[in-house]
Amino acid sequence: MSEPHQIVFRRAVIALAGGPADARIVQLVSELGRPVKADIVAVHVVEIGWSLPLDADIAGRSEEAQQILDLAEATAEESKMRLEPILLQARDVGAALVDEATERSADLLVLGLPYRKRFGGDFAIGRTIPYVLKNAPCAVWVVRDPITEEAS
Amino acid sequence: MTGGGQPQRGRKLADRRVRVERPHAPYFRYAGPGQLVAKAAASAATTPSGRLFARVRAFLFGRPLAMEEEATERLPKKQALAIFSSDAISSSAYATEEILRVLVLAGSAAILVSIQIAIAISVLLAVVALSYRQVCRAYPNGGGAYAVARENIGSLASLVAAAGLLIDYVMTVAVSTASAIAQTYSVFPSIFDIRVGVAVLAIALITIANLRGLRESGNIFAVPTYLFLGLALLMVGVGVFRVVTGTAVDVSQADAAPFGTQEFGLFLLLKAFASGSVALTGTEAVANGVPAFKPPESKNAANTLVAMAVLLGVLFIGITVVADGFGILPTREGGQTVVALVATVVFGANSPLFYAFQGATALILFLAANTSFNAFPRLAALLAEDGYMPRQFSFRGDRLAFSWGIVLLAAIAAGLLALFGGETHALIPLYSVGVFLCFTLSQAGMVRHWFNERSSGWAWRATINAIGAILTGVVLVVVAGVKFFDGAYLVVILIPTLVLMMLFIHRQYARSARELSVRPEFVAQAPAREERVIVPVPGINRAVIQAVNVGRSISDDVRAVFIFEDPQAVEAVRVGWERQVPGVPLVVIESPYRALAGPLIAYLDVLDTAWPAGKPAPITFVVIPEYVAKSWWERLLYNQSARRLRTMLLGRPHTVVVNVPYRREDPEAFEPGRLPGTSGG
Repeated sequence: MSEPHQIVFRRAVIALAGGPADARIVQLVSELGRPVKADIVAVHVVEIGWSLPLDADIAGRSEEAQQILDLAEATAEESKMRLEPILLQARDVGAALVDEATERSADLLVLGLPYRKRFGGDFAIGRTIPYVLKNAPCAVWVVRDPITEEAS
Repeated sequence: MTGGGQPQRGRKLADRRVRVERPHAPYFRYAGPGQLVAKAAASAATTPSGRLFARVRAFLFGRPLAMEEEATERLPKKQALAIFSSDAISSSAYATEEILRVLVLAGSAAILVSIQIAIAISVLLAVVALSYRQVCRAYPNGGGAYAVARENIGSLASLVAAAGLLIDYVMTVAVSTASAIAQTYSVFPSIFDIRVGVAVLAIALITIANLRGLRESGNIFAVPTYLFLGLALLMVGVGVFRVVTGTAVDVSQADAAPFGTQEFGLFLLLKAFASGSVALTGTEAVANGVPAFKPPESKNAANTLVAMAVLLGVLFIGITVVADGFGILPTREGGQTVVALVATVVFGANSPLFYAFQGATALILFLAANTSFNAFPRLAALLAEDGYMPRQFSFRGDRLAFSWGIVLLAAIAAGLLALFGGETHALIPLYSVGVFLCFTLSQAGMVRHWFNERSSGWAWRATINAIGAILTGVVLVVVAGVKFFDGAYLVVILIPTLVLMMLFIHRQYARSARELSVRPEFVAQAPAREERVIVPVPGINRAVIQAVNVGRSISDDVRAVFIFEDPQAVEAVRVGWERQVPGVPLVVIESPYRALAGPLIAYLDVLDTAWPAGKPAPITFVVIPEYVAKSWWERLLYNQSARRLRTMLLGRPHTVVVNVPYRREDPEAFEPGRLPGTSGG
């Protein structure tokens, strides 16, 4: 039997969308990053429509956006890890994530793929994940929500 | 808030992004809409002296723990046995001696009944342990006799139980420490002269250990407890074997207490029983500390209680049998203890095992006090939550320990030890009354509990508790009766005094709660009362101008009051005021008697009197300018008058005192060309 493959990354960027998948991916990356003392950056991007200036005071006033990052920080601390929470405003979420990962020389970008129960239940892959998969310079993990028996 | 930063460019021209500042993040965490949770940094000291103090505290007591870390501060059974049982188990080190000290008064023949007395006390222990097992299961939130009596008998009975328990815990610390010192000077007689100092030092060390928190205490106390248990069981095993096989021979004691000539009758027998029943003290600690156990709390606590009772019974009877078999008698003051003599005959004088046992006995006795350091603060916190003790007792310190209770217990026990000269026998008569009072109330309460609940098996459960209540009630009467003039009368006086004190505190809290309560149907409206501002000024300076501006932001009706002693200076101040602070009238009051606060308050009274009778009284804001001192010694130089004035104005009707601190860091606001009160930037 071969030895289990050692997953190694030094700097991971986690994309937070504000759903239940956030805690799961933060916990996963924290557990895997702890042995190698990896740097973890949690990024939440608030998309700003073209009708507003990009630096409009939107995310700073949003308690919801702040809470997403604070919860991620608390989840990481439960796994004895620290993460750097980053709040961004951008026109396109996928582009902001890729640019942030590039600028920070991240070797891993992790995104959650939520399961939508409405309209019969499906994985809403949207446009962010395909963009990141196509453009990110580093490894990309897409962590899928588990499908409960009830949902399936 | 985007921080005013330039948008960062991405790989493509349109892919720009803006980083948003999060000013709350270092100090707070959002836990929900409009709900912030403070981080440790929010409570961090900001001054150099504060940081130094915090470092010293962290060194002594450990880093502060968050409330969410409490779940990890639960005790596994092995640690819980060490913490909650050290009191009960360690009493086997002196209970036999207490019996022998009474019996010796009636001559050598009376000594022979010591084993029967020990067995009788152990039967009582079994009944009490069985009864308390039921308390653990019925009351998973702990509280012991207090909680049981409160729920089933009534508040007065529960307060009597609480008073008895509080006294019991204090006595446990004092008696255990005194007995530990006695074990120590059994080996090192030179310690006898400094026993009180050593005892106080030991209490101080246990206090620090407890202020550090529960889990670390468990680690500190587990090793000596298990070392004592191992060695004591070995000693009893070897000793009983020698007694049974007939190889035990009477020891010759040069310093044995002389036999008395008292008649051996029922009174002496009961007195010996009452003295030996000190072995039962601490049995309730497990029932009080159920919430400290790991889940399932009740089951773990009940099993720990049984283990404790079995170990205590075996050791108590065993030591008594060995002492009797070897003809060991208690010694004169300053001599070896009975248990030290037993260790000498079993292990051999000056043998390594003898020293190890004496060391372990002294340690467990020092640490038995820890049982009370866990139980007393918890009970005090329960009483404080119910409004019978000052609320501070329910506040948790940095390490989640009830710091106030710990410190109070240490202070009283240390004082008691100093008062009684560190003598175990002098303290024992004060000990048992409170304990048996609690046992009786608790068991009686449990009988009512089962009758009210009538759950499965309630009849036999009620029977066990009823037998426990009757037995402990009889022992209570015996203990209080035979030891009354030896010191038990002090407890008989102290318990009602404590109950009255707790009732007084409760009444005070109830009254203030009534006075502060808001009716559910009341809806707060914006105030319609007029407001006026009075600024007491010592002249014109930056602090005064800042205070006047704050006053102007409160109301248009602002007037400054200048109280003076020197008429020569008034005109200059008045002219300067009209020129530099236009629009704010200056009232000057001459004070030939050099008082400041008195004339100001009198002026406020005059304003109130002059207010039209038909209108609601206005709210008077007294805005006091203050200069912020940077260091502790500067505080001695400034704001003394302001402090006095503030104290005198507190409680004045319709008056609000506002302190306006002026910081020297913002002087640019007063530079020429700037508007005072506006910030730079």
